[in-house]
Amino acid sequence: MTEPIIPPAPEVLEAPAGPYVYDYAASPQRQVVMPKTVPLPSYRTYLAEVKAAAEADEAKWKKMQADYETAKAKAEAEGKDAPKPPVRPVPRKDDNDLKTPWPQEAKDADLLLLQEVLGAKVEEIFEQAGELTCQLEKGAIHEALTLCREHEGLRYEMLADQSATHYPAANDFAYSVVYHLTSISRRKRLRLRILVPEGFVPESACSVYPSANWMEREIFDMLGISFANHPDMTRILCPDDWEGHALRKDYPVVGWGQRDVAFREDRGGMIERIALQKAGQLGINLKQPKAD
Amino acid sequence: MFKNEEMEINLGPQHPSTHGVLRVKLRLDGETITHCKPVIGYLHRGVEKICENQTFFQGQVWTDRMDYCSAVANNLGWAEANEKLFGITVPRRAQYIRTLLNEFNRLASHLIWLATHALDIGAMTVFLYAFREREDILDMNEAFCGSRLTTTAFRIGGLREDMPPGFEKMARKFLAKFPTCLEEYENLLSENRIWKKRTVGVAMLSAEDAIALGVTGPVLRAAGVPYDIRKAFPYAAYGEMDFEVPTQTAADTYARYLVRMAEMRQSARIIQQCLDGMPEGPVMAKIPKILKPEVNEVYHATEAPKGEIGYYLVGEKGSTNPYRFHVRAPGFINLQSLPKMAEGGLIADIVAAIGTLDIVLGEIDR
Repeated sequence: MTEPIIPPAPEVLEAPAGPYVYDYAASPQRQVVMPKTVPLPSYRTYLAEVKAAAEADEAKWKKMQADYETAKAKAEAEGKDAPKPPVRPVPRKDDNDLKTPWPQEAKDADLLLLQEVLGAKVEEIFEQAGELTCQLEKGAIHEALTLCREHEGLRYEMLADQSATHYPAANDFAYSVVYHLTSISRRKRLRLRILVPEGFVPESACSVYPSANWMEREIFDMLGISFANHPDMTRILCPDDWEGHALRKDYPVVGWGQRDVAFREDRGGMIERIALQKAGQLGINLKQPKAD
Repeated sequence: MFKNEEMEINLGPQHPSTHGVLRVKLRLDGETITHCKPVIGYLHRGVEKICENQTFFQGQVWTDRMDYCSAVANNLGWAEANEKLFGITVPRRAQYIRTLLNEFNRLASHLIWLATHALDIGAMTVFLYAFREREDILDMNEAFCGSRLTTTAFRIGGLREDMPPGFEKMARKFLAKFPTCLEEYENLLSENRIWKKRTVGVAMLSAEDAIALGVTGPVLRAAGVPYDIRKAFPYAAYGEMDFEVPTQTAADTYARYLVRMAEMRQSARIIQQCLDGMPEGPVMAKIPKILKPEVNEVYHATEAPKGEIGYYLVGEKGSTNPYRFHVRAPGFINLQSLPKMAEGGLIADIVAAIGTLDIVLGEIDR
């Protein structure tokens, strides 16, 4: 048996410094800005915010009046003209086609039915922008999905979409998982939502709605939430050996390990060759470009 | 050697009939497929992540590049989802022009489906005819927004500009000749013995399976479910249009062909109604230049040529970027049904199954 002919390893060239090399580690695409708020729509939070705003407004108005009284008393004492009485500021009205959809109290029969049947497992129901939202206790999602599909008054036949959002600024949960159900026969849509802490494994929806299969794989791939009793809990879009979960808020837009070399600025193709060589992926023409 | 053994083969990723870079792992018993597993992700660009790090307006160029055959339909869903998030009312004229362009786009997408699907199965001539008409539609895209494929046609709140002069004439000219073109395709295919042998009874997907697997669009309607979002949850100007939802009950590849051909006729009808009833007025709503939402989440679904395209947006108070940007791509969900269609069939028929799903890998992998 003859020895296989191994070509001699070409020498590793040093990447030229200067204008060719762009520092990707310092690029804005690699910098992560963590969100500071928890934008989770909720009627309860909205009411609390409105109440707080009204109280702040009232306090401001009282302060303005008190200031006026003291200024008036002072002016009278000094024998000057009384100052102008304060005018309560009116919120400015914009003349445009924007009408912000605020959360509203749930009046839809489906939401009320869900609350009636599931009782304390329903954490919150509300409507916003014409969409119905029902937030559930995280352990009750399978029961709720089964109910939505099987109940005679609900009949949500199709799981149209399932997705998740990362909320790193929240204290008692890390992700929200949303299920968008469609009732073809009744022409209705419904959103179920659960709030999931880091490491919690929610029950898979696959046994109720088989269409959840790939959607849950995508959530696992992108956010790292795994689902219990899922037939094939593997990555779907990224390769199996990918590190990290791209749609988490602590993941940079240009992922780690990607594009450490600025190919665009490398007009001679020099850096690309060196990068390939360093990565051990030789196989292309490695002739050194001419120096002109 | 292969007497009792099952053979495993890979279809793709680089295969002309997979419409991009789709890899299908197949296990074969002779010529029969016993196991089928689609492997995707070769075109993954992280569209959702990129859009979360850009402003609301900048997301549109990425929606063009998801399903590049139906960019206008993607733009429409994106624009309407944003308008729902901010609570914007769009002027009626803009709604009509959007509907018009969207239906032209549906024609273009169905034509490219017809061309490539027929080419996959072995009918070459339709390919050339269908591309001839698609060219006219792309010319109209170019007249309207300057680009042919990646249109970026709409803006949040309406349109950037009104229809250019001469656009209506162009559209009417196209509509006048399009029915004869459809007849040409149907003459070539509908009663063609080879075409029928390759499509009738191939890649069946029953209505129960389709609904369970979340399949939407012409594939669902060919199984007898009259679910069209344009009718079920009307958006843009579809509430004012008079059109039918064509359905078939055979649930095979031939039924899907018939549904799509009938849909093209209905699209032409809608375009005609848009042109005839075009209202006057502005095409852009009065909105501020920089949009900042309140805390809100919306899921807005529209009927793209391939099925239901949904955008799930979460708005953060005072931020100019969407906090979460998720796309429910019709191709991604529809492709889940490929094993159901292909298993038990012949290996030659998987090409028909992939073609009839009308997939575009750009939107599946995003």
